Amino acid sequence: MVECPGRRVAPRQQFRGTALEESVDLHLDDHTEDGLTVVDVEGEIDVYTAPKLRELIIELVNKGNFHLVVNMERVEFLDSTGLGVLVGGLKRVRAHEGSLQLVCTQERILKIFRITGLTKVFPIHNSVEEAKEYAKQQK
Amino acid sequence: MSKDMATPAELSGVRDTVTVRLPATSAYLSVLRTATAGLAARLDFTLDEIEDLRIAVDEACAMLLTQAEPDVDLQCTFELHGDAMRVAVSVRTLDGSEPARGTFAWTVLNSLAGEVDAHASPDGLVTIELHKRREQTRSA
Repeated sequence: MVECPGRRVAPRQQFRGTALEESVDLHLDDHTEDGLTVVDVEGEIDVYTAPKLRELIIELVNKGNFHLVVNMERVEFLDSTGLGVLVGGLKRVRAHEGSLQLVCTQERILKIFRITGLTKVFPIHNSVEEAKEYAKQQK
Repeated sequence: MSKDMATPAELSGVRDTVTVRLPATSAYLSVLRTATAGLAARLDFTLDEIEDLRIAVDEACAMLLTQAEPDVDLQCTFELHGDAMRVAVSVRTLDGSEPARGTFAWTVLNSLAGEVDAHASPDGLVTIELHKRREQTRSA
């Protein structure tokens, strides 16, 4: 297994102009495991913070990372803006014959995917290990 | 608040209305979500209902922010009834049109909020209203 150093990306520098800019609650970290790029997301994904996740996914794809796993186990809030970012990411990786899987066991987050029918679009797993096994089976 | 406690409105016969006015910018949405959860908790909503309302209010505001005029405020009015909350979110917009209904945002809002309506006034003010009732059957 090849482990790459993770990066911690704080979005606050991208969102100047309000007194609340220091309170942005989204932290992103990415690393590579067994050929998959795992993006650990922590915090709230809403219309304010979602652009940062979009930027990271675009950056990863532009660097040739076409098999992504977005780990949402530490996501505290997700709205449709976040869904849009994930769907956009899926389109990008599919353009390179890649994949975008999700890790999520939180019922309140899964509910949003069910409402919008996206449980049929994204493979959603209980753990990163499960996502890795799934990826192996798809090869 | 326990089930047999009444809201201040029920005790006094006066409707409780809370208005929150924020800059119409996405940075403040988390503040509004927190306010929503706090008010819903006062009405003894379940945790799931509180979460639904939090997301619904967020979606309504996020939709309106895309059409808001620059440098205006977003106004959110919460009416607290005994077993329900009515939320009206409004902002002055550039085009005065109602939000599109075929979007993920509207799907989520419509699924979680109970009753939803949107309307636009001739002066460009667009409002989305939600009406969420507390579930009727509660375990003892």
